[in-house]
Amino acid sequence: MSDVLRRIEIPIALTIIATLLQVIPYYLDIPPLESAANTASNAVLIIVACATFVGVISIIQVHGKRIQRQSEGWYYSLLVIGFTVIMSITGLPIPEVGLSVNNSVYNWLFTNVLTPLGSTMYSILAFFITSAAFRAFRARNVESSIVLVAGTIMVMSNAPLLTNYLPFIADIALWIRSYPNMATFRGVMIGAALGSMALAVRTLMGIERGYLRGGGEE
Amino acid sequence: MAFLIAGRIFGLVCLLVIMGAVAYYIRESQGGKVPKVRRIPGIDAIDESIGRAVEMGRPVFCSHGIANLRAATSGPQTLAGLSVLSYVAKQTVSVGADLYVPVRQPEVWPVAADIVETEYKLAGRGDEFDPDKVPFLSNNQFGYSSNYMGMMMREKPGANIMVGAYWAESLQLAETGSRIGAMQITGTANTSQIPFFLVVSDYCLIGEEIYAAGAYLTDDAPLIASLAGQDVGRIIAVILGLLGAITVTFGTNILLDLFGM
Repeated sequence: MSDVLRRIEIPIALTIIATLLQVIPYYLDIPPLESAANTASNAVLIIVACATFVGVISIIQVHGKRIQRQSEGWYYSLLVIGFTVIMSITGLPIPEVGLSVNNSVYNWLFTNVLTPLGSTMYSILAFFITSAAFRAFRARNVESSIVLVAGTIMVMSNAPLLTNYLPFIADIALWIRSYPNMATFRGVMIGAALGSMALAVRTLMGIERGYLRGGGEE
Repeated sequence: MAFLIAGRIFGLVCLLVIMGAVAYYIRESQGGKVPKVRRIPGIDAIDESIGRAVEMGRPVFCSHGIANLRAATSGPQTLAGLSVLSYVAKQTVSVGADLYVPVRQPEVWPVAADIVETEYKLAGRGDEFDPDKVPFLSNNQFGYSSNYMGMMMREKPGANIMVGAYWAESLQLAETGSRIGAMQITGTANTSQIPFFLVVSDYCLIGEEIYAAGAYLTDDAPLIASLAGQDVGRIIAVILGLLGAITVTFGTNILLDLFGM
């Protein structure tokens, strides 16, 4: 039985069925198929919710071992597990006993720990952009010179002091955004859409197996 | 034809033509007619980056983006990233390099872990697979990126391969990789992140190149042939683009009406 369940054809068949269930109802109005697609979507949501526990298990495995071995920085692992457990328990959907996303402890952790940490990580992006720009914006050849000039104009167009005295900079920036930039992005997007279609055909034919164990080798 | 949804018929026809073309080229390849595909330096450099990491005695990092497998536009990117992971895992196992795969989505984690574990088993070294090296970090975007950056700073990888869907964390990860001197191969179809990857990494796969990576790396004739089918779609896109420009110039919205836009 276990050998049958491990056959590579099973995930391929599931992928094909799931793909067709999503694609066909978009183009064709067949109520039974649409209903089946909705059922499949709900099933996927349940699977995803269950997968969250798999993620928690992985966190506990990795960080639990670090604490057990007292590896370097093991106390950070203790914090990770501690906060995971506290937020998981206080956020449980049992309002009758005061637990839910409205729980005061959960809310405090969310507002005063999780949100500021996320904002901090997002804001340090500015420093990464600066250091990346420092290396990239060098006029080494024609192409990099074009990037340098275009980048400088875009930065200048976002400075109100400059655009107040030199309003044409905003017009040039708008032109860059609307024509060369838009044309390039659309080209990339059309190419990516075609690429994903080809990937879908390969997956539907069962020949794209990179996402399966060992590329489908058994 | 009451079951056809108005406004989506022409889109369906285009989709069927493109898919038919891809299927046609795949069938042709089974008869021995395999089209030539241009070299993609970023994909060719994967072996070089792994070799470099081994020579330096450093591990290899490979991630498949932060998206799940369900989203319409980013899901296929994750699939493409997993195909690259499959190849990278095979190569790292064969040369004995350490491979780390940081994962953001809990639903993708078992797939990624299974891919890496299977490569160890296929090489007859299943007991060497360490699940701690395929960690689920956090499903919070910046929780994931801070963890990933921390791992890179501690482990100092010789190669950092990132192919998949990335958003604001793309530059944080790639810039950290650059600071520690890792050879970086990146790729995404998220247009807003491509410039960041281009600036920071050694090689960058742009848009459709990430979808071609799986086919390109396996060098399997039907997979390679499917890439030629995309060209039919490209021709349709160019023709529609030109027709759209002409019709709008002459003040008619016939194409927009055809697509139900």
